[in-house]
Amino acid sequence: MEKKVLLAENQPEFGAGFELALTMSPADVVFIVRDSGIKGRGGAGFPTGIKWNLAGAASSDVKYVVCNADEGEPGTFKDRILLEKYSERLLEGMAIGGYAIGSSHGIIYLRAEYPYLIPAIKEARKNMINRGFLGKNIGGKGFDFDVEIRIGAGAYICGEETSLIESLEGKSGYPRNKPPFPVNSGYLNKPTIVNNVETFCNIPHIVLNGPEWYADLGIGDCSGTKLFSISGNVEKPGVYELPLGAPLKDLLELAGAGDIQAVQVGGASGRTIPASEIHRSLSFGDLPPGGSVIVFDSTVNMLEVLENFMEFFVHESCGQCVPCREGTLQLMNAVDDLICGDICCREDLDNCFRLAEVMRITSKCGLGQTAVNCFVDIINNFVDFTDECLSEECCCERGDQ
Amino acid sequence: MPRNPEEIVADGIREFGEGREKVLQLLNKVNEELSWIPTAAINAIAQATGISVAEVYSVVSFYSFFSTEPRGRNIVRLCSTISCAMTGQREILEALMDEFGIEPFETTDDGRLTIETTPCIGLCDQAPAMLVNGEPHVKLTPEKACEIVRGLG
Repeated sequence: MEKKVLLAENQPEFGAGFELALTMSPADVVFIVRDSGIKGRGGAGFPTGIKWNLAGAASSDVKYVVCNADEGEPGTFKDRILLEKYSERLLEGMAIGGYAIGSSHGIIYLRAEYPYLIPAIKEARKNMINRGFLGKNIGGKGFDFDVEIRIGAGAYICGEETSLIESLEGKSGYPRNKPPFPVNSGYLNKPTIVNNVETFCNIPHIVLNGPEWYADLGIGDCSGTKLFSISGNVEKPGVYELPLGAPLKDLLELAGAGDIQAVQVGGASGRTIPASEIHRSLSFGDLPPGGSVIVFDSTVNMLEVLENFMEFFVHESCGQCVPCREGTLQLMNAVDDLICGDICCREDLDNCFRLAEVMRITSKCGLGQTAVNCFVDIINNFVDFTDECLSEECCCERGDQ
Repeated sequence: MPRNPEEIVADGIREFGEGREKVLQLLNKVNEELSWIPTAAINAIAQATGISVAEVYSVVSFYSFFSTEPRGRNIVRLCSTISCAMTGQREILEALMDEFGIEPFETTDDGRLTIETTPCIGLCDQAPAMLVNGEPHVKLTPEKACEIVRGLG
């Protein structure tokens, strides 16, 4: 079942949550966010309240509130919808974040593929300024806050928060070593919170309705609702809002998925599961709820899907660390060998699975650590080796074993 | 006539300031106006921001949207990721290559058009999709895509 908060027909007035936040102490705002249990909506799932608490406690005259609008995970387009229709809510959430941690400077890092959203964001900013929610001495509280837009230049890795910060600093988007964490040393080495578009959009609702209300929206241990972008072989692709923790099958029903061979949850870096597992829940403890869901029907050759994803990772690996740079290439070559029949039994892939494990453990950032998921899942669940072995080029018959 | 790169960079410095962190904004400004990043622009940015030419070049080479080769005044970016690939992206690309006589990442001789393939552009719900000079075009067919590109200036 859908449960709409961010996409609800009847929305609280823009700015109402911010006005309420301004009547509280910054620390109380942080506690409300913490108590709501909201975790980062970009997919990593770090508790937002803890992030804000750390940044709030960091001592510095200058701090930054950064919105990660570098939505690049294949199959994800939920933030595009939020930026198109709810930019004012986003700016409101960022302003609350600024008040909570003591920052007067917000930056939206928008992916280069979304330049057509800039007018909507600029319009929202103008409206917020006109109504006194952005600018100097907001609400007579001596609090200043404004937001600037920065555009990326086409790099998936810049969705990783330290890469994003490097990019904001005008550099190549190589991930940084952690620690120090951005909450202590982020943009220009100042304390910085980086949150996803959807996370910021939730904040005004949390402030207005209280942390218990938000926690109760989710199912089980999960707090709040979540936006999911669904595409592939479904009747009604689009963005749907469900309670976090809802079973995947609810989303599939809403989008009109019929014939299901496989569902990829969480994008190319997420998990690929067979139809028999669609009862599982979309939550940080189970199927990754980053936002992307792609459905593949029984006509789809999953090896070709895997090839497409491995090409993606080879292209998008930033090249900084060896396991990811070389590993993605080796796995892509293995997929090509599978497709042309040079590899046709599981045993031949043992080295690849070992490599995948090494990449998962030793890659510097999430890209290399999760790039192996689609390889492992698709090979394990969707490749029928007995059929392949019938080919004349089979390695078993060549005596390669 | 396009402006010369030094002039664009000088303009950008006035707009954004000259700190090291402005490099990407300056490059984006040059890219927007010229469709590519000439060496003269790299030199001007290095000088203005006080970092080495090599470092600016490394930033240029890192990002997919920048090119150190001249590109057409129109840039078509056709999404090649899975939701678009499953709905006929290949046929669209072939139709575009046939009609305009170029391979991906090539530019027509008259400098009018560059065609590129690109990873997911976040329009999967309306696949197959492409960006033409940054504007989204969705639910494409080979005919529709060719017609859009034909109509470009």
